[in-house]
Amino acid sequence: MAADNPIDPIHQFEISKIADIQLGGIDISFTNSSLFMVFALATTMALFVIGLSKKSIIPNRMQMLSELSYNFIANMLRDQVGDQGRAYFPFIFSLFMFIFFCNFIGLIPYTFTVTSHLIVTFAFAGLIFIAVTIIGFVKNGLGYLRIFYPSGIPIFLAPLIVPIEIISYLSKPISLSVRLCANMLAGHSILKIFAGFIVMLGFLGFAPLVFLVVLYALETLIAALQAYIFTILTCIYLNDALHPDH
Amino acid sequence: MKILLKAFLLTAPINFAYAAEGQKSAGLPQMDIATFPSQLFWLVITFSLLYLFMWKFVIPRLGATIEERRDKISNDINDADNLNTEATDILKKYDEQMASASQESNEIITNSKKAMLDHLETLKKENEEKVNSLISESQAKIKAQEEKSKIEIRNATLDTVKAIVSRYIENIPSDEEINKKLN
Repeated sequence: MAADNPIDPIHQFEISKIADIQLGGIDISFTNSSLFMVFALATTMALFVIGLSKKSIIPNRMQMLSELSYNFIANMLRDQVGDQGRAYFPFIFSLFMFIFFCNFIGLIPYTFTVTSHLIVTFAFAGLIFIAVTIIGFVKNGLGYLRIFYPSGIPIFLAPLIVPIEIISYLSKPISLSVRLCANMLAGHSILKIFAGFIVMLGFLGFAPLVFLVVLYALETLIAALQAYIFTILTCIYLNDALHPDH
Repeated sequence: MKILLKAFLLTAPINFAYAAEGQKSAGLPQMDIATFPSQLFWLVITFSLLYLFMWKFVIPRLGATIEERRDKISNDINDADNLNTEATDILKKYDEQMASASQESNEIITNSKKAMLDHLETLKKENEEKVNSLISESQAKIKAQEEKSKIEIRNATLDTVKAIVSRYIENIPSDEEINKKLN
């Protein structure tokens, strides 16, 4: 098994079954990935249950934390989409908290990063893409097709612009999911590689150790930043669907 | 960053080789399609639960708390504004009262100064009169004394003249004669 090799940077992304569950011939076993999804869910729930256990005018630290995250996402949605975006707030807020905690829990050694698997990020991105497209057509009818032909473009450029716009529209879910997944995958692999260097170099290992500490700080930033980017891009796509003229 | 990339690229083949060696299915675990249904299934379950939790529990409660706080703050600001206007009014009244009081006290001071000066003036006059009368009295007394002394001196002179003359002559001249001579 690859588990025998302690410095295999890919080993951390392997999925291992915890409980074997089969449903109609489909393997839906409870795996380490599922476990860390549950952890992300539990962490978010814990934050808000503790934070909201004592609703007070002057908040304590946990309440402050939950209110900060609420206001952060609410302001992001209001700035990007406006008041029409309010209906989508529960989804955007859940999305941010889930990705944020998946990214962060994944930074702890010996854990699993749910968002490092393309299928997970692509599931989110695909859901967002389909939902945004449906919202766009429901709110604007066929007028939604205007997003492929921005106003103020001369008509002779249309054969050039429209295919480009269509390709860029269709590539949105891919770029959205690959960005998050690749960041998590690359970051965690590099962390593992440098951790391996520390072991291999013996007493000289302090040099990669120092580097690892710096890298870990960077990865912490990236974990938060990628959750933010994923969420804000979702807001921007939603805004495009609600206001295709802009 | 370049060094980092180099290190990654240098070690990657070895690492990937290890992974491939260990696992029967070569490549990244991300590409193992067999795990997709399970991942999607549990993602749907956990994310739906999270969505429900956020939608039904977190957002109403947090929204209410934040709203409540906003109301409380705006109420408090209103109260503070009201109290502020009240305080300004009181200050205005106080200033007015102070102004009228100082005016009053100024008047009192001017009046009492005037009264004092008047009183002083009358006292001065009275004293002057007294002094003047005393002076004239004294002058009268002095004059009287002078007169008296003059007469006494004359009488004494007269007596002396009489006494001297009586030594030398029998015929003592009368007082009028002596007086005529003395003058």
